[in-house]
Amino acid sequence: MNLAILVLLPFLGAALPPLAERLRAPRTALALSAALMPALALALLIGPAGQVFEGRTVQDALSWMPSLGLTLAFRLDGLALLFALLVLGIGLLVILYARYYLSANEKAGRFYAFLLLFMGAMLGVVTSDNLLLLVLFWELTSLSSFLLIGFWSHQSAARKGARMALTVTGMGGLALLAGVLLIGQVVGSYSLDQALASGDLIRASGLYPLILVLVLLGIFTKSAQFPFHFWLPHAMAAPTPVSAYLHSATMVKAGVFLLARFYPMLAGTDLWFDLVTLAGMATLLWGAAAALFQHDLKGLLAYSTISHLGLITLLFGLNTELAAVAAVFHIINHATFKASLFMAAGIIDHETGTRDMRRINGLWKYMPYTAVLAMVASAAMAGVPLLNGFLSKEMFFAETLQSSRLGAMSWVLPLGATLGGVFSVAYSARFIHDVFFNGEPVNLPKFPPHEPPRYMKVPVEILVALCVAVGVLPAITVSGLLAVAGSATLGGELPEYHLSIWHGFNVPLLMSVVALVGGVAVYSLRRWLFAQYDRLPAINANLIFEGRVQALARAATALGNTLRNGSLQSYAAWLLALVALVLLVHLSPAAIDGTRGLLPLDGVALLAGAMLVVAALITAVLHRHRVTAIMSVSVVGLVVSLTFVRLSAPDLALTQLSVEVVTVLLLMLAMYFLPVRTRMESGALRVSRDLLLSVVIGGGVGLMAFAMMTSDFQTISGYFLDNAKPGGGGTNVVNVILVDFRGFDTFGEITVLGIAAMGIYALLRDLDLLSARSDSVGRPWARDAHPLVLVTISRPLLPLALLISVYIFLRGHNLPGGGFIAGLITSVALLLQYVASGVEWVHRRMPGDYHPVVAVGLLLAGVTGLGSWFFGHPFLTSTFDHVHWPLVGEFELASAMLFDTGVFLTVVGATLLMLANLGKLSLLDDKKGGA
Amino acid sequence: MEAMVAIMIAVLVGTGVYLVLRARTFPVILGITLLSYGVNLFVFISGRLALDQAPIVGRGPATDPLPQALVLTAIVIGFAMTAFLVVLALRGQGETGTDHVDGDADEGGQR
Amino acid sequence: MEHLIIAPILIPAFAGMLLLLEVRERQPLRRLTGLVSALALIPVAVGLYLRAAGGDILVYQLGDWAAPFGIVLVLDKLSALMVLLTSLLALPALIYASRADDKRGANFHALFQLQLMGINGAFLTGDLFNLFVFFEVLLIASYGLALHGRGPARVKAGIHYVVLNLIGSALFLVALGLVYGTTGTLNMADFAVKVRELDGGALELARIAGLLMWVVFGLKAALFPLYFWLPATYANATAGVAALFAIMTKVGVYAIARVQGLAFLDGPLAGLGRDALWVLALLTLLLAAIGVLGARRLGEMVAYLVVMSVGTLMAGLSWGSPEATGAMLYYLIHSTLVCGGLFLLADLVARGRGKLGDQLVAGPAPAGRSGLAALFFLGAIAVIGLPPLSGFMGKVALLQTVPSPLYWLFLLGGGLLALVGMSRAGSTLFWRATGDGRARRLDRPRLAATVLLLSAAPALAIWGEPVLEATVATAAQWAQPGLYIEAVLGGGA
Repeated sequence: MNLAILVLLPFLGAALPPLAERLRAPRTALALSAALMPALALALLIGPAGQVFEGRTVQDALSWMPSLGLTLAFRLDGLALLFALLVLGIGLLVILYARYYLSANEKAGRFYAFLLLFMGAMLGVVTSDNLLLLVLFWELTSLSSFLLIGFWSHQSAARKGARMALTVTGMGGLALLAGVLLIGQVVGSYSLDQALASGDLIRASGLYPLILVLVLLGIFTKSAQFPFHFWLPHAMAAPTPVSAYLHSATMVKAGVFLLARFYPMLAGTDLWFDLVTLAGMATLLWGAAAALFQHDLKGLLAYSTISHLGLITLLFGLNTELAAVAAVFHIINHATFKASLFMAAGIIDHETGTRDMRRINGLWKYMPYTAVLAMVASAAMAGVPLLNGFLSKEMFFAETLQSSRLGAMSWVLPLGATLGGVFSVAYSARFIHDVFFNGEPVNLPKFPPHEPPRYMKVPVEILVALCVAVGVLPAITVSGLLAVAGSATLGGELPEYHLSIWHGFNVPLLMSVVALVGGVAVYSLRRWLFAQYDRLPAINANLIFEGRVQALARAATALGNTLRNGSLQSYAAWLLALVALVLLVHLSPAAIDGTRGLLPLDGVALLAGAMLVVAALITAVLHRHRVTAIMSVSVVGLVVSLTFVRLSAPDLALTQLSVEVVTVLLLMLAMYFLPVRTRMESGALRVSRDLLLSVVIGGGVGLMAFAMMTSDFQTISGYFLDNAKPGGGGTNVVNVILVDFRGFDTFGEITVLGIAAMGIYALLRDLDLLSARSDSVGRPWARDAHPLVLVTISRPLLPLALLISVYIFLRGHNLPGGGFIAGLITSVALLLQYVASGVEWVHRRMPGDYHPVVAVGLLLAGVTGLGSWFFGHPFLTSTFDHVHWPLVGEFELASAMLFDTGVFLTVVGATLLMLANLGKLSLLDDKKGGA
Repeated sequence: MEAMVAIMIAVLVGTGVYLVLRARTFPVILGITLLSYGVNLFVFISGRLALDQAPIVGRGPATDPLPQALVLTAIVIGFAMTAFLVVLALRGQGETGTDHVDGDADEGGQR
Repeated sequence: MEHLIIAPILIPAFAGMLLLLEVRERQPLRRLTGLVSALALIPVAVGLYLRAAGGDILVYQLGDWAAPFGIVLVLDKLSALMVLLTSLLALPALIYASRADDKRGANFHALFQLQLMGINGAFLTGDLFNLFVFFEVLLIASYGLALHGRGPARVKAGIHYVVLNLIGSALFLVALGLVYGTTGTLNMADFAVKVRELDGGALELARIAGLLMWVVFGLKAALFPLYFWLPATYANATAGVAALFAIMTKVGVYAIARVQGLAFLDGPLAGLGRDALWVLALLTLLLAAIGVLGARRLGEMVAYLVVMSVGTLMAGLSWGSPEATGAMLYYLIHSTLVCGGLFLLADLVARGRGKLGDQLVAGPAPAGRSGLAALFFLGAIAVIGLPPLSGFMGKVALLQTVPSPLYWLFLLGGGLLALVGMSRAGSTLFWRATGDGRARRLDRPRLAATVLLLSAAPALAIWGEPVLEATVATAAQWAQPGLYIEAVLGGGA
């Protein structure tokens, strides 16, 4: 029998109800479609169950992610079987119950789907044989319960309750994951089998305390142990079938299941005792006391659940084998009576329209049958003899007496246990007396209440019958299951114990009597107690939680806004400060250790250098004066070009110069639209910060430059000088590098140019600058016309310029020049026409759209590159031959020339695409301005 | 000569950094321009300085041609980027009505 | 010599050029061209990946010039993986954008293709300066794409994005100047060899070059304190673009991994800046998680999730072990596709909510509420790292391989903050919504694109083992720079 399939069934089943709903199946058919897979799973469980009762552990594994240690490994031992029965059995009852509980207009298909998802996850948790798989299913229970609790998502309480449950259990799940990973680290495997066998290893490990705390965080949050109990009462916003399922047999039981599962691994130490017992005791008392004061029927049950979970936790904490068995027993008992009580509460809610016990009174008269069922279940909860709750509670009392860990303080345990019992009886009494007796109903929304539909009571009947059967005949009904579950929990032999109703007169019996009598006494004092309770400040965990989350989110937003304050200056400062930090930490004058001889400095160079420094400083200081700034920037660019000339880089000088011209044109155009002056608006602090950054970074880069220039180095450049002519067919090495050795860079670069032009075109296309004729402060903007002098000079210049660019282009492979420079010169010449004569004049003579020019240029470059494929060479492999051209002379005609033509066209097209459209903008502006 | 070129680079980068940190688009454009000049020179000098040694085959000793090719590429890319930034600044002006780099109204006080 | 290696660059490049030629703005033709190119990239990338998975490192010498003199493309497992990931992300993103968003400005499809060209080039190149060039290609295209459409918010964010990256480009050039000025080479493999032989002042300069590269790549990757530009830029971009941008931060992560793996794993600069990256990565993780919690728009939330994934990844990378890097790469695949899907989902939600858009305030139910809610639920589970989806596997793998308590605390704690944030968002958008939103129908192709990307989460979980094995093998190859160097400098393939 394949266990994996068993676990998979509910997940598969989750698809059926929505499908049935879509087919407009009647409600009963819908419920049946939901019940199909769990019923099948339950039937399939019979086979392996037999093997488990024979004392074997059924295991089954599929590979999933062995690299992570995550395998689809499942095991069915006594403990898993017990839980699987609870999950599937009670699950089926809940489906039956929900058939009648959900009203016709609710999305029952979705409800069942969520329920089945949850069921599958739960089944996975209890049958996992791999620690990571267990965590996986564990988190799935949190997620699916989130959907279930929030099912009535139109209610604020449901949404908040769902999120709170998810947050708390999600946090626990993450802790559990960390704990499990540490266990895996210690054990060397995530196999549950191995981990269970490595208890001594784990307990001896230095990581044990951490592991324990992390795992317990997972368990306590899931099982709503103090101080993480607060989410559970708010999960009651879920439809009652969900509460009956999640908070009796499943979700919260996942926590105590894990206590049982990990018992052989982690239990047996003093730390375990202290943490688990303490949390259990606190939860037991807190929950029991709080339950009494709830006026909401489900609230009472919720706190009672918390209290009983505390009881179970406490039992596991006691570190004795018998206590562990008692804990397992109480898990069974609590599941049966609590599920039936929730269902009964749901029926009452359903029939009366309210859950307020101050209004629901005297229902005995109206629904005696339900009353009987509920009263029996409550009595079981209170631990009344002849019912199942009594048996496990008796064992619990006995076990608290055995512990000596607390030394002289050992009496605290039985005292606390008895006190818990007292309250347990008191709230059970309240559930019975307030609801079914205690006078007449007060102002019920639905009146008079009736017995519910026949089949709605069936699940309650079954569960109550189980309570009685176990209570009266434990040996026949439950002892077998308890034995296999108990031994699986302990991972070995069971201790001696007897499940019987009568153990003779002993201390536990006395404690039970005290609890019963005390409970009734406390209940009779309820009016006074309620009055006291009402004086306490009201605490609504939902509101507190929501408040905290909102405060946290607000703080997060505030922190985010402080860091990410929307100011570019601040972001840029962060970036540059990081650079400054790198330089400050790692750069020292010691880096200048080169021995390369220095070049002499001549007067002309010094003058040019001084000009550059002054012009740059002027730009920085007077940047608010637009025209001055542009002029000084162009001086800087000019000096940079001259520097290139002086330092043996004629190609660079030419390029720099032509780019310079275009850039200045661009800046002029920009200036036309931007405010002419801006006011001084940086404070002294800001300015000094920026100055500091400038000095550090500028100085640092300068220092590094000096360090580089003064030291010798080995370079690959010799290869280019040697191979330019024989390999690339050109003597201008820079150009050969550009179109051949590193032609791919150039290919990328012209692409950048093309994209920039496209992007600019897109930006400008529907830009309307007229609305911003002057800015909010009312600063006037520059206006200019086409100067006549420019017009008269520029037109005859055009053919000349074009001729020059052809020349420059052609000689580029051998002498300074090439596609770039030629392209830029052509563009400048054409742009000059725009500037001088206006867009309209040019457009009558030139194509309007330069997109195809860019495209053809790029394509030419690209196709040239592709051409080499046909000769079996990689992209951009060049070939050349010698040709004699008149005027230009003898030179090699290289395929790289074709590539360079592509460069030329792209440069022309892109530059014109950018600037012509800017120009058009100004034209548009003139027209609108004039109109 | 080396020291002077280093100082030129330092000043260009320094003024570029300062201007890039201004609050209006125009000085930021200027800053990017100056920064590019400085950085291009920096890449250029990574091939070390040489006088009268243009890398043309057959004309005697030649300086390192590779950084020159790199800088040529960088100049063109820098031009494309600057042009884009200029137009983006215009677009910003058009859409937000201010030339502030954060597109905020001018009443923001000190920034 | 296999020309296929250059195909991921040339296919979108030529598609982009052809799109430029198409001046009559025939949108169906443009869409077709773009989609055919994006579609063609997938089999190409798969083919390349299979080729690289064999363990060979293939070198493509452009212009037939041998390294280190010419530019080479290098196909190893890492670059092949990234190219494959890009192609898988690009197609759904483009399908989504091709429904209507591409008409909201000029040249969308050309920009999109050239963006792909830049990304693929950055992944494939084996030359540092060529990496700079492709960075510029992908950046300038991304500027155009980020600004695609109208609106002041987009322009504001665009100015920030552009200016910061222009500064970044300048810094990259400084680093490249230092690289060439000290080692005399630009080829990555050659640089890796030569940098190990440096000493004295040159070594100091090379160290600064490396650190400056970390700053530049960190800006692309969006590490603290360099991520501030990202949330606004991504949240304001059109959905298909934002989805594609999910890979852009990973270009930064890749570049750090590439250069670190080649040059700084051993030698005099071993572990360069690793401690600083570690600290910054953890801070990024934490602050981004806080950002997720505090986000007021769904798009902003997803953008912060992208930043969070970067912190997660960079911490894994800077841990330095091949195992951690393998886990990191698995998480990289997961987070790229899932975050991409979430951007699309955020847009689907916003479309159904009228003027409210993706703001996290209660409003009308979006069209197709149940379906979107289910997708959101799955996407949130995946991105937070809850089981049973890929995020969980990725986180477990990272936790196993990065045994640092601090990392565990930040990763798990960050996950919890994201859980709180996303559950609030989901509750607000889908549960508190009024009306049932059934009146309007969801656009099928848009929904399909979203589902396609988000289905990565279950797919990467179900086939987690082969994927994780592949990323671990990738990292193992990455951790042996000798193989790469031998392939590039040893005469070529």
